[in-house]
Amino acid sequence: MIELKNINKVFEVNKNNKVIALQNINLSIDDGEIVVLKGASGSGKSTILSLIAGLSKPTSGEVIVDKKHIAKLPDNFASIYRRDNIGFIFQKYNLISTLSVSDNILLPLIPLNLDFDELNSKLDIVINRFNISHKKDSIVKNLSGGEQQRVAIARANINNPKIIIADEPTANLDEKLSLNFIEQLKELKSLGKTIIIATHDPLFFGLDFLDREIAINGGKIVL
Amino acid sequence: MILSPEVLTIFILNILFFIFGTIAFFLSVKIYLGWDNESVEQSQYKLEKQSFLTATIIKYIFAIKVPLFLFFIFTLDKISNVLVGAMCGAGVVDATPYGIYLFILKIINLYLFAYWLVLHNEDMKNEKLPFTKMKFGFYSIVYFLFIAELVIEGLMFSSIDIDKMVSCCGTIYSSSSTSYISTIFSLDSTILLVLFYGTFSLIILFYKLKFRYIYAILNILFIIISLITLIAFFGTYIYELPTHYCPFCFLQKDYYYVGYILYTTLFLGTFYGIVIGFIDKSKLEIEKSFKKSLIFNLLYVLIVTVYPVIYFLKNGVWL
Repeated sequence: MIELKNINKVFEVNKNNKVIALQNINLSIDDGEIVVLKGASGSGKSTILSLIAGLSKPTSGEVIVDKKHIAKLPDNFASIYRRDNIGFIFQKYNLISTLSVSDNILLPLIPLNLDFDELNSKLDIVINRFNISHKKDSIVKNLSGGEQQRVAIARANINNPKIIIADEPTANLDEKLSLNFIEQLKELKSLGKTIIIATHDPLFFGLDFLDREIAINGGKIVL
Repeated sequence: MILSPEVLTIFILNILFFIFGTIAFFLSVKIYLGWDNESVEQSQYKLEKQSFLTATIIKYIFAIKVPLFLFFIFTLDKISNVLVGAMCGAGVVDATPYGIYLFILKIINLYLFAYWLVLHNEDMKNEKLPFTKMKFGFYSIVYFLFIAELVIEGLMFSSIDIDKMVSCCGTIYSSSSTSYISTIFSLDSTILLVLFYGTFSLIILFYKLKFRYIYAILNILFIIISLITLIAFFGTYIYELPTHYCPFCFLQKDYYYVGYILYTTLFLGTFYGIVIGFIDKSKLEIEKSFKKSLIFNLLYVLIVTVYPVIYFLKNGVWL
Protein backbone atom coordinates (compact mmCIF):
# COMPACT_ATOMS: atom_id res chain seq x y z
CA MET A 1 0.00 0.00 0.00
CA ILE A 2 1.23 3.47 -0.90
CA GLU A 3 0.33 6.39 1.35
CA LEU A 4 1.15 10.05 0.92
CA LYS A 5 0.36 12.12 4.00
CA ASN A 6 0.33 15.92 4.12
CA ILE A 7 2.89 16.15 1.36
CA ASN A 8 4.30 19.52 0.42
CA LYS A 9 7.03 20.00 -2.12
CA VAL A 10 8.63 23.34 -2.80
CA PHE A 11 11.47 23.83 -5.27
CA GLU A 12 13.63 26.67 -4.10
CA VAL A 13 15.22 28.18 -7.19
CA ASN A 14 16.69 30.93 -5.01
CA LYS A 15 15.61 32.84 -1.90
CA ASN A 16 13.12 34.99 -3.80
CA ASN A 17 11.92 32.38 -6.22
CA LYS A 18 10.10 29.37 -4.84
CA VAL A 19 7.98 27.02 -6.92
CA ILE A 20 5.27 25.23 -4.99
CA ALA A 21 4.95 21.87 -6.77
CA LEU A 22 2.68 20.07 -4.31
CA GLN A 23 0.41 21.34 -1.57
CA ASN A 24 -0.94 19.21 1.23
CA ILE A 25 -1.34 16.04 -0.82
CA ASN A 26 -3.05 13.12 0.88
CA LEU A 27 -3.38 9.99 -1.18
CA SER A 28 -3.46 6.26 -0.68
CA ILE A 29 -3.16 3.57 -3.33
CA ASP A 30 -3.94 -0.07 -2.57
CA ASP A 31 -1.87 -3.01 -3.75
CA GLY A 32 -2.77 -4.06 -7.29
CA GLU A 33 -4.54 -0.80 -8.09
CA ILE A 34 -4.04 0.93 -11.40
CA VAL A 35 -4.24 4.68 -11.00
CA VAL A 36 -3.94 7.50 -13.50
CA LEU A 37 -2.73 10.89 -12.36
CA LYS A 38 -4.01 13.38 -14.89
CA GLY A 39 -3.33 17.03 -15.26
CA ALA A 40 -1.61 19.63 -17.38
CA SER A 41 2.15 20.00 -17.64
CA GLY A 42 3.57 21.39 -14.40
CA SER A 43 0.58 20.33 -12.34
CA GLY A 44 2.73 18.10 -10.06
CA LYS A 45 2.04 14.61 -11.46
CA SER A 46 5.69 13.71 -12.06
CA THR A 47 6.66 15.11 -8.67
CA ILE A 48 4.26 12.66 -7.01
CA LEU A 49 5.78 9.81 -9.01
CA SER A 50 9.32 10.78 -8.04
CA LEU A 51 8.31 10.92 -4.36
CA ILE A 52 6.75 7.45 -4.51
CA ALA A 53 9.85 6.15 -6.29
CA GLY A 54 12.13 7.64 -3.64
CA LEU A 55 13.86 9.74 -6.28
CA SER A 56 13.18 12.93 -4.36
CA LYS A 57 12.13 13.88 -0.87
CA PRO A 58 9.19 16.04 0.13
CA THR A 59 9.67 19.42 1.76
CA SER A 60 7.39 18.08 4.49
CA GLY A 61 5.07 15.14 4.97
CA GLU A 62 5.27 11.36 4.77
CA VAL A 63 5.61 8.87 1.92
CA ILE A 64 4.90 5.35 3.17
CA VAL A 65 5.16 2.27 0.98
CA ASP A 66 4.35 -1.03 2.66
CA LYS A 67 4.81 0.63 6.06
CA LYS A 68 8.28 1.87 5.08
CA HIS A 69 8.95 5.61 5.31
CA ILE A 70 10.47 6.17 1.89
CA ALA A 71 11.21 9.86 2.30
CA LYS A 72 13.28 9.13 5.40
CA LEU A 73 15.56 6.67 3.65
CA PRO A 74 19.19 7.65 3.09
CA ASP A 75 20.20 7.63 -0.59
CA ASN A 76 21.86 4.21 -0.54
CA PHE A 77 18.76 2.61 1.00
CA ALA A 78 16.46 4.51 -1.36
CA SER A 79 18.41 2.96 -4.26
CA ILE A 80 17.87 -0.53 -2.84
CA TYR A 81 14.17 0.23 -2.34
CA ARG A 82 13.88 1.34 -5.98
CA ARG A 83 15.83 -1.65 -7.25
CA ASP A 84 13.62 -4.11 -5.38
CA ASN A 85 10.21 -2.47 -5.67
CA ILE A 86 9.91 -0.06 -8.56
CA GLY A 87 9.84 -0.43 -12.32
CA PHE A 88 10.05 2.75 -14.37
CA ILE A 89 8.62 3.53 -17.77
CA PHE A 90 9.74 6.90 -19.04
CA GLN A 91 8.36 9.21 -21.70
CA LYS A 92 11.52 8.98 -23.80
CA TYR A 93 12.15 5.33 -22.86
CA ASN A 94 15.64 6.20 -21.43
CA LEU A 95 17.21 3.22 -23.19
CA ILE A 96 20.89 3.07 -24.10
CA SER A 97 20.67 3.29 -27.86
CA THR A 98 23.99 1.57 -28.62
CA LEU A 99 23.29 -1.52 -26.52
CA SER A 100 21.25 -4.53 -27.55
CA VAL A 101 17.69 -5.16 -26.38
CA SER A 102 18.88 -7.88 -23.97
CA ASP A 103 21.56 -5.69 -22.45
CA ASN A 104 19.13 -2.83 -21.93
CA ILE A 105 16.58 -5.07 -20.27
CA LEU A 106 19.18 -6.67 -18.00
CA LEU A 107 20.69 -3.38 -16.84
CA PRO A 108 18.68 -3.12 -13.58
CA LEU A 109 19.98 -6.52 -12.53
CA ILE A 110 23.69 -5.62 -12.69
CA PRO A 111 23.98 -4.76 -8.96
CA LEU A 112 22.51 -8.14 -8.00
CA ASN A 113 25.48 -10.13 -9.39
CA LEU A 114 23.24 -12.94 -10.61
CA ASP A 115 24.71 -15.85 -12.50
CA PHE A 116 24.32 -16.23 -16.25
CA ASP A 117 21.56 -18.86 -16.13
CA GLU A 118 19.47 -16.82 -13.72
CA LEU A 119 19.83 -13.71 -15.87
CA ASN A 120 18.81 -15.63 -18.97
CA SER A 121 15.76 -17.17 -17.36
CA LYS A 122 14.56 -13.76 -16.14
CA LEU A 123 15.24 -12.27 -19.57
CA ASP A 124 13.30 -15.02 -21.34
CA ILE A 125 10.25 -14.42 -19.17
CA VAL A 126 9.99 -10.70 -19.91
CA ILE A 127 10.93 -10.74 -23.60
CA ASN A 128 8.30 -13.39 -24.24
CA ARG A 129 5.69 -11.64 -22.13
CA PHE A 130 6.15 -8.35 -23.96
CA ASN A 131 6.63 -9.92 -27.35
CA ILE A 132 10.13 -8.70 -28.08
CA SER A 133 12.03 -12.02 -28.12
CA HIS A 134 12.62 -11.89 -31.89
CA LYS A 135 14.56 -8.64 -31.40
CA LYS A 136 16.58 -9.65 -28.37
CA ASP A 137 19.98 -9.23 -30.08
CA SER A 138 19.08 -6.09 -32.06
CA ILE A 139 20.67 -2.78 -31.24
CA VAL A 140 18.07 -0.48 -29.68
CA LYS A 141 18.66 2.47 -32.02
CA ASN A 142 17.52 0.28 -34.93
CA LEU A 143 14.12 -0.41 -33.38
CA SER A 144 10.84 1.39 -34.05
CA GLY A 145 9.20 3.60 -31.39
CA GLY A 146 6.71 0.88 -30.42
CA GLU A 147 9.45 -1.73 -30.09
CA GLN A 148 11.52 0.60 -27.97
CA GLN A 149 8.49 1.14 -25.75
CA ARG A 150 8.15 -2.63 -25.32
CA VAL A 151 11.84 -2.88 -24.41
CA ALA A 152 11.28 -0.14 -21.82
CA ILE A 153 8.32 -2.05 -20.36
CA ALA A 154 10.32 -5.28 -20.32
CA ARG A 155 13.16 -3.52 -18.52
CA ALA A 156 10.72 -2.08 -15.97
CA ASN A 157 9.57 -5.63 -15.22
CA ILE A 158 12.86 -7.51 -15.20
CA ASN A 159 13.24 -7.25 -11.41
CA ASN A 160 9.59 -8.24 -10.96
CA PRO A 161 8.69 -5.03 -9.11
CA LYS A 162 5.50 -4.61 -7.11
CA ILE A 163 5.03 -1.06 -8.37
CA ILE A 164 5.23 0.19 -11.95
CA ILE A 165 5.59 3.92 -12.44
CA ALA A 166 4.95 5.35 -15.89
CA ASP A 167 5.59 9.00 -16.59
CA GLU A 168 3.83 10.20 -19.77
CA PRO A 169 4.38 6.75 -21.33
CA THR A 170 2.55 7.48 -24.58
CA ALA A 171 3.79 11.00 -25.23
CA ASN A 172 6.13 9.76 -27.98
CA LEU A 173 3.78 7.19 -29.50
CA ASP A 174 1.13 7.44 -32.17
CA GLU A 175 -2.44 6.40 -31.38
CA LYS A 176 -2.06 2.80 -32.53
CA LEU A 177 1.06 2.23 -30.46
CA SER A 178 -0.54 4.00 -27.52
CA LEU A 179 -3.44 1.56 -27.67
CA ASN A 180 -0.94 -1.30 -27.77
CA PHE A 181 0.68 0.11 -24.68
CA ILE A 182 -2.68 0.27 -22.94
CA GLU A 183 -3.21 -3.42 -23.77
CA GLN A 184 0.12 -4.21 -22.15
CA LEU A 185 -0.97 -2.30 -19.06
CA LYS A 186 -3.93 -4.68 -18.77
CA GLU A 187 -1.49 -7.58 -18.73
CA LEU A 188 0.60 -5.91 -16.04
CA LYS A 189 -2.54 -5.38 -13.98
CA SER A 190 -3.40 -9.05 -14.34
CA LEU A 191 -0.01 -9.84 -12.78
CA GLY A 192 -1.18 -7.99 -9.66
CA LYS A 193 1.14 -5.03 -9.96
CA THR A 194 0.35 -1.60 -8.61
CA ILE A 195 0.55 0.78 -11.55
CA ILE A 196 0.67 4.56 -11.36
CA ILE A 197 0.58 6.50 -14.58
CA ALA A 198 1.08 10.22 -14.93
CA THR A 199 -0.38 11.40 -18.20
CA HIS A 200 -2.40 14.04 -19.97
CA ASP A 201 -3.18 11.70 -22.87
CA PRO A 202 -7.01 11.52 -23.21
CA LEU A 203 -6.71 7.90 -24.41
CA PHE A 204 -6.28 6.88 -20.80
CA PHE A 205 -9.35 8.62 -19.49
CA GLY A 206 -12.40 6.50 -18.79
CA LEU A 207 -10.74 3.12 -19.47
CA ASP A 208 -12.72 0.33 -17.85
CA PHE A 209 -9.74 -1.44 -16.27
CA LEU A 210 -8.52 1.65 -14.45
CA ASP A 211 -9.30 1.69 -10.74
CA ARG A 212 -9.04 5.44 -10.31
CA GLU A 213 -8.34 8.67 -12.10
CA ILE A 214 -6.93 11.44 -9.97
CA ALA A 215 -6.84 14.97 -11.31
CA ILE A 216 -4.01 17.22 -10.22
CA ASN A 217 -4.01 20.94 -10.70
CA GLY A 218 -1.58 23.49 -9.30
CA GLY A 219 -0.04 20.91 -7.00
CA LYS A 220 -3.38 19.93 -5.45
CA ILE A 221 -5.68 16.96 -5.88
CA VAL A 222 -8.88 18.34 -7.38
CA LEU A 223 -10.93 15.23 -7.96
CA MET B 1 60.63 29.27 9.68
CA ILE B 2 61.12 26.34 7.38
CA LEU B 3 59.27 26.12 4.08
CA SER B 4 60.22 22.90 2.35
CA PRO B 5 57.79 21.54 -0.28
CA GLU B 6 56.53 19.03 2.29
CA VAL B 7 55.85 21.74 4.90
CA LEU B 8 54.16 23.91 2.27
CA THR B 9 51.95 20.96 1.34
CA ILE B 10 50.97 20.53 4.98
CA PHE B 11 50.26 24.28 5.32
CA ILE B 12 48.08 24.39 2.20
CA LEU B 13 46.17 21.29 3.30
CA ASN B 14 45.75 22.76 6.79
CA ILE B 15 44.20 25.95 5.36
CA LEU B 16 41.72 23.84 3.38
CA PHE B 17 41.05 21.66 6.42
CA PHE B 18 40.42 24.76 8.52
CA ILE B 19 37.92 26.27 6.05
CA PHE B 20 35.95 23.10 5.39
CA GLY B 21 36.31 21.83 8.96
CA THR B 22 34.84 25.06 10.30
CA ILE B 23 31.90 24.96 7.87
CA ALA B 24 31.31 21.37 8.97
CA PHE B 25 31.53 22.42 12.63
CA PHE B 26 28.73 25.00 12.39
CA LEU B 27 26.54 22.59 10.43
CA SER B 28 27.32 19.79 12.92
CA VAL B 29 26.20 21.90 15.87
CA LYS B 30 23.01 22.80 13.99
CA ILE B 31 22.31 19.15 13.15
CA TYR B 32 23.12 17.96 16.67
CA LEU B 33 20.75 20.48 18.24
CA GLY B 34 17.87 20.06 15.78
CA TRP B 35 17.99 16.35 14.86
CA ASP B 36 14.78 14.36 15.30
CA ASN B 37 14.76 11.31 13.08
CA GLU B 38 11.04 10.69 13.59
CA SER B 39 10.02 14.13 12.41
CA VAL B 40 8.57 14.69 8.92
CA GLU B 41 8.74 18.46 9.17
CA GLN B 42 10.52 20.70 6.71
CA SER B 43 13.30 21.50 9.18
CA GLN B 44 14.17 17.81 9.66
CA TYR B 45 14.26 17.09 5.91
CA LYS B 46 16.56 20.08 5.54
CA LEU B 47 18.81 18.79 8.33
CA GLU B 48 18.93 15.37 6.66
CA LYS B 49 20.17 16.95 3.44
CA GLN B 50 22.72 19.01 5.36
CA SER B 51 23.83 15.97 7.34
CA PHE B 52 24.89 14.17 4.15
CA LEU B 53 26.82 17.22 2.97
CA THR B 54 28.48 17.72 6.37
CA ALA B 55 29.32 14.04 6.78
CA THR B 56 30.91 14.04 3.32
CA ILE B 57 33.08 17.04 4.22
CA ILE B 58 34.21 15.50 7.52
CA LYS B 59 34.72 12.09 5.95
CA TYR B 60 37.09 13.46 3.34
CA ILE B 61 39.00 15.63 5.83
CA PHE B 62 39.54 12.70 8.19
CA ALA B 63 40.14 10.19 5.42
CA ILE B 64 43.03 12.43 4.33
CA LYS B 65 44.16 13.33 7.86
CA VAL B 66 44.66 9.73 9.01
CA PRO B 67 47.23 8.73 6.35
CA LEU B 68 48.63 12.26 6.46
CA PHE B 69 50.08 11.36 9.86
CA LEU B 70 52.62 9.17 8.05
CA PHE B 71 53.38 12.07 5.72
CA PHE B 72 53.92 14.29 8.76
CA ILE B 73 56.46 11.82 10.17
CA PHE B 74 58.10 11.59 6.75
CA THR B 75 58.29 15.41 6.66
CA LEU B 76 59.95 15.57 10.07
CA ASP B 77 62.50 13.07 8.92
CA LYS B 78 63.09 14.92 5.65
CA ILE B 79 63.61 18.36 7.16
CA SER B 80 65.96 16.94 9.79
CA ASN B 81 68.55 17.06 6.98
CA VAL B 82 68.61 20.86 7.07
CA LEU B 83 68.69 21.27 10.85
CA VAL B 84 72.18 21.36 12.34
CA GLY B 85 72.55 18.55 14.83
CA ALA B 86 69.38 16.66 13.91
CA MET B 87 69.87 13.11 12.71
CA CYS B 88 66.18 12.22 12.34
CA GLY B 89 62.67 13.48 13.11
CA ALA B 90 63.45 13.48 16.85
CA GLY B 91 65.68 16.54 16.43
CA VAL B 92 62.88 18.41 14.64
CA VAL B 93 60.34 17.52 17.35
CA ASP B 94 62.78 18.74 19.98
CA ALA B 95 63.70 21.90 18.03
CA THR B 96 60.69 23.84 19.36
CA PRO B 97 58.66 23.67 22.55
CA TYR B 98 55.57 22.75 20.47
CA GLY B 99 56.96 19.54 18.93
CA ILE B 100 56.22 17.05 21.67
CA TYR B 101 52.71 18.45 22.33
CA LEU B 102 51.93 18.37 18.63
CA PHE B 103 53.06 14.78 18.44
CA ILE B 104 50.94 13.67 21.39
CA LEU B 105 47.93 15.60 20.06
CA LYS B 106 48.38 14.08 16.62
CA ILE B 107 48.36 10.54 18.03
CA ILE B 108 45.21 11.28 20.09
CA ASN B 109 43.52 12.88 17.08
CA LEU B 110 44.51 9.99 14.85
CA TYR B 111 42.45 7.63 16.99
CA LEU B 112 39.57 10.13 17.30
CA PHE B 113 39.41 10.80 13.55
CA ALA B 114 39.53 7.10 12.76
CA TYR B 115 36.82 6.52 15.38
CA TRP B 116 34.61 9.13 13.69
CA LEU B 117 35.10 7.40 10.33
CA VAL B 118 34.02 4.06 11.79
CA LEU B 119 31.05 5.72 13.51
CA HIS B 120 30.00 7.31 10.21
CA ASN B 121 30.44 4.04 8.38
CA GLU B 122 28.22 2.24 10.88
CA ASP B 123 25.65 5.03 10.70
CA MET B 124 25.38 4.75 6.93
CA LYS B 125 24.80 0.99 7.15
CA ASN B 126 21.48 1.45 8.94
CA GLU B 127 18.49 3.16 7.29
CA LYS B 128 17.45 4.61 10.66
CA LEU B 129 20.79 6.47 10.90
CA PRO B 130 21.24 5.55 14.58
CA PHE B 131 24.59 7.30 15.07
CA THR B 132 23.88 10.60 13.27
CA LYS B 133 23.35 12.70 16.36
CA MET B 134 26.28 11.04 18.10
CA LYS B 135 28.71 11.47 15.21
CA PHE B 136 27.95 15.18 14.76
CA GLY B 137 28.07 15.77 18.50
CA PHE B 138 31.39 13.94 18.59
CA TYR B 139 32.74 16.04 15.71
CA SER B 140 31.62 19.25 17.44
CA ILE B 141 33.96 18.35 20.32
CA VAL B 142 36.79 16.86 18.24
CA TYR B 143 36.78 20.01 16.08
CA PHE B 144 38.54 21.93 18.86
CA LEU B 145 41.31 19.34 19.09
CA PHE B 146 41.47 19.33 15.30
CA ILE B 147 41.90 23.12 15.19
CA ALA B 148 44.40 22.96 18.08
CA GLU B 149 46.45 20.51 16.02
CA LEU B 150 46.42 22.80 12.97
CA VAL B 151 47.44 25.81 15.06
CA ILE B 152 50.23 24.00 16.94
CA GLU B 153 51.47 22.51 13.68
CA GLY B 154 51.64 25.99 12.17
CA LEU B 155 53.43 27.29 15.26
CA MET B 156 55.90 24.44 15.25
CA PHE B 157 56.96 24.72 11.63
CA SER B 158 57.03 28.52 11.73
CA SER B 159 59.18 28.65 14.87
CA ILE B 160 61.90 26.28 13.68
CA ASP B 161 65.13 28.25 13.43
CA ILE B 162 67.38 26.55 10.90
CA ASP B 163 70.43 28.46 12.18
CA LYS B 164 69.99 27.11 15.69
CA MET B 165 71.71 23.88 16.63
CA VAL B 166 69.37 21.16 17.87
CA SER B 167 69.97 17.93 19.75
CA CYS B 168 70.19 14.63 17.95
CA CYS B 169 68.14 11.64 19.04
CA GLY B 170 71.19 10.09 20.71
CA THR B 171 71.18 12.97 23.19
CA ILE B 172 67.41 13.39 23.57
CA TYR B 173 66.70 9.73 24.19
CA SER B 174 69.84 8.71 26.10
CA SER B 175 69.57 7.05 29.49
CA SER B 176 71.76 9.81 30.93
CA SER B 177 69.32 12.48 29.76
CA THR B 178 67.33 14.27 32.45
CA SER B 179 64.10 14.27 30.43
CA TYR B 180 61.10 12.36 31.74
CA ILE B 181 61.18 10.06 28.71
CA SER B 182 64.66 8.84 29.68
CA THR B 183 63.21 7.20 32.81
CA ILE B 184 61.69 4.46 30.66
CA PHE B 185 65.12 3.44 29.37
CA SER B 186 66.19 2.47 32.85
CA LEU B 187 63.25 0.08 33.22
CA ASP B 188 64.14 -3.57 33.54
CA SER B 189 63.88 -5.37 30.18
CA THR B 190 62.45 -8.53 31.74
CA ILE B 191 59.59 -6.59 33.34
CA LEU B 192 58.93 -4.77 30.06
CA LEU B 193 58.84 -8.01 28.09
CA VAL B 194 56.59 -9.72 30.63
CA LEU B 195 54.23 -6.75 30.39
CA PHE B 196 54.37 -6.70 26.58
CA TYR B 197 53.87 -10.41 25.91
CA GLY B 198 51.58 -10.72 28.93
CA THR B 199 49.24 -8.02 27.59
CA PHE B 200 49.30 -9.59 24.15
CA SER B 201 48.50 -13.00 25.65
CA LEU B 202 45.54 -11.45 27.45
CA ILE B 203 44.43 -9.90 24.16
CA ILE B 204 44.41 -13.37 22.61
CA LEU B 205 42.59 -14.78 25.63
CA PHE B 206 39.85 -12.14 25.53
CA TYR B 207 39.62 -12.51 21.77
CA LYS B 208 38.77 -16.15 22.36
CA LEU B 209 36.33 -15.25 25.16
CA LYS B 210 34.88 -12.37 23.07
CA PHE B 211 34.80 -9.98 26.03
CA ARG B 212 34.67 -6.83 23.93
CA TYR B 213 35.00 -4.20 26.68
CA ILE B 214 37.99 -5.84 28.36
CA TYR B 215 39.48 -6.42 24.90
CA ALA B 216 39.16 -2.69 24.14
CA ILE B 217 40.76 -1.68 27.45
CA LEU B 218 43.62 -4.15 26.87
CA ASN B 219 44.24 -2.55 23.49
CA ILE B 220 44.55 0.90 25.07
CA LEU B 221 47.07 -0.60 27.48
CA PHE B 222 48.82 -2.36 24.60
CA ILE B 223 49.48 0.95 22.77
CA ILE B 224 51.31 2.37 25.77
CA ILE B 225 53.26 -0.80 26.60
CA SER B 226 54.13 -1.37 22.93
CA LEU B 227 55.50 2.14 22.46
CA ILE B 228 57.59 1.88 25.64
CA THR B 229 59.00 -1.56 24.76
CA LEU B 230 59.59 -0.48 21.17
CA ILE B 231 61.71 2.46 22.27
CA ALA B 232 63.37 0.88 25.30
CA PHE B 233 63.93 -2.69 24.09
CA PHE B 234 63.04 -3.73 20.53
CA GLY B 235 64.44 -0.51 19.00
CA THR B 236 67.92 -1.36 20.28
CA TYR B 237 67.77 -4.61 18.30
CA ILE B 238 66.54 -2.84 15.17
CA TYR B 239 69.52 -0.47 15.46
CA GLU B 240 71.77 -3.20 16.86
CA LEU B 241 72.99 -0.61 19.35
CA PRO B 242 72.26 -1.08 23.05
CA THR B 243 72.27 2.67 23.78
CA HIS B 244 70.12 3.95 20.91
CA TYR B 245 66.51 4.56 21.92
CA CYS B 246 65.14 6.70 19.10
CA PRO B 247 61.50 6.24 17.99
CA PHE B 248 62.25 7.96 14.65
CA CYS B 249 65.47 6.52 13.21
CA PHE B 250 63.84 3.25 12.13
CA LEU B 251 61.61 5.31 9.82
CA GLN B 252 64.69 5.89 7.67
CA LYS B 253 65.98 4.06 4.63
CA ASP B 254 68.88 2.57 6.62
CA TYR B 255 66.36 0.44 8.51
CA TYR B 256 64.21 -0.30 5.43
CA TYR B 257 61.51 2.10 6.65
CA VAL B 258 60.37 -0.60 9.09
CA GLY B 259 59.06 2.10 11.45
CA TYR B 260 56.18 2.88 9.06
CA ILE B 261 55.12 -0.78 9.10
CA LEU B 262 55.46 -0.98 12.87
CA TYR B 263 53.46 2.16 13.61
CA THR B 264 50.81 1.33 11.00
CA THR B 265 50.24 -2.22 12.25
CA LEU B 266 50.20 -1.05 15.87
CA PHE B 267 47.70 1.70 15.03
CA LEU B 268 45.39 -0.58 13.02
CA GLY B 269 45.54 -3.41 15.55
CA THR B 270 44.84 -1.27 18.58
CA PHE B 271 42.33 0.93 16.76
CA TYR B 272 40.11 -1.96 15.67
CA GLY B 273 40.49 -3.38 19.16
CA ILE B 274 39.39 -0.15 20.83
CA VAL B 275 36.48 0.38 18.42
CA ILE B 276 34.92 -2.91 19.54
CA GLY B 277 34.31 -1.43 22.97
CA PHE B 278 32.99 1.91 21.81
CA ILE B 279 30.50 1.22 19.02
CA ASP B 280 27.50 -1.08 19.17
CA LYS B 281 27.88 -2.92 15.90
CA SER B 282 26.27 -6.09 14.63
CA LYS B 283 27.69 -9.40 15.85
CA LEU B 284 29.22 -10.04 12.44
CA GLU B 285 30.87 -6.61 12.33
CA ILE B 286 32.23 -7.02 15.85
CA GLU B 287 33.69 -10.37 14.86
CA LYS B 288 35.33 -8.73 11.83
CA SER B 289 36.84 -6.00 14.02
CA PHE B 290 38.06 -8.63 16.50
CA LYS B 291 39.82 -10.47 13.67
CA LYS B 292 41.34 -7.34 12.09
CA SER B 293 42.58 -6.20 15.47
CA LEU B 294 44.16 -9.54 16.31
CA ILE B 295 45.78 -9.92 12.89
CA PHE B 296 47.42 -6.47 12.97
CA ASN B 297 48.48 -6.80 16.61
CA LEU B 298 49.91 -10.23 15.90
CA LEU B 299 51.76 -8.84 12.89
CA TYR B 300 53.22 -6.09 15.06
CA VAL B 301 54.31 -8.56 17.75
CA LEU B 302 55.88 -10.88 15.17
CA ILE B 303 57.83 -8.09 13.47
CA VAL B 304 59.26 -6.66 16.68
CA THR B 305 60.05 -10.15 18.00
CA VAL B 306 61.96 -11.12 14.88
CA TYR B 307 64.69 -8.49 15.49
CA PRO B 308 66.03 -9.75 18.87
CA VAL B 309 65.65 -13.38 17.74
CA ILE B 310 67.70 -12.78 14.58
CA TYR B 311 70.26 -10.81 16.58
CA PHE B 312 70.61 -13.68 19.05
CA LEU B 313 70.89 -16.29 16.30
CA LYS B 314 73.55 -14.23 14.53
CA ASN B 315 75.59 -13.23 17.57
CA GLY B 316 74.74 -15.76 20.26
CA VAL B 317 74.16 -13.04 22.87
CA TRP B 318 71.43 -10.57 23.87
CA LEU B 319 72.10 -6.86 23.91
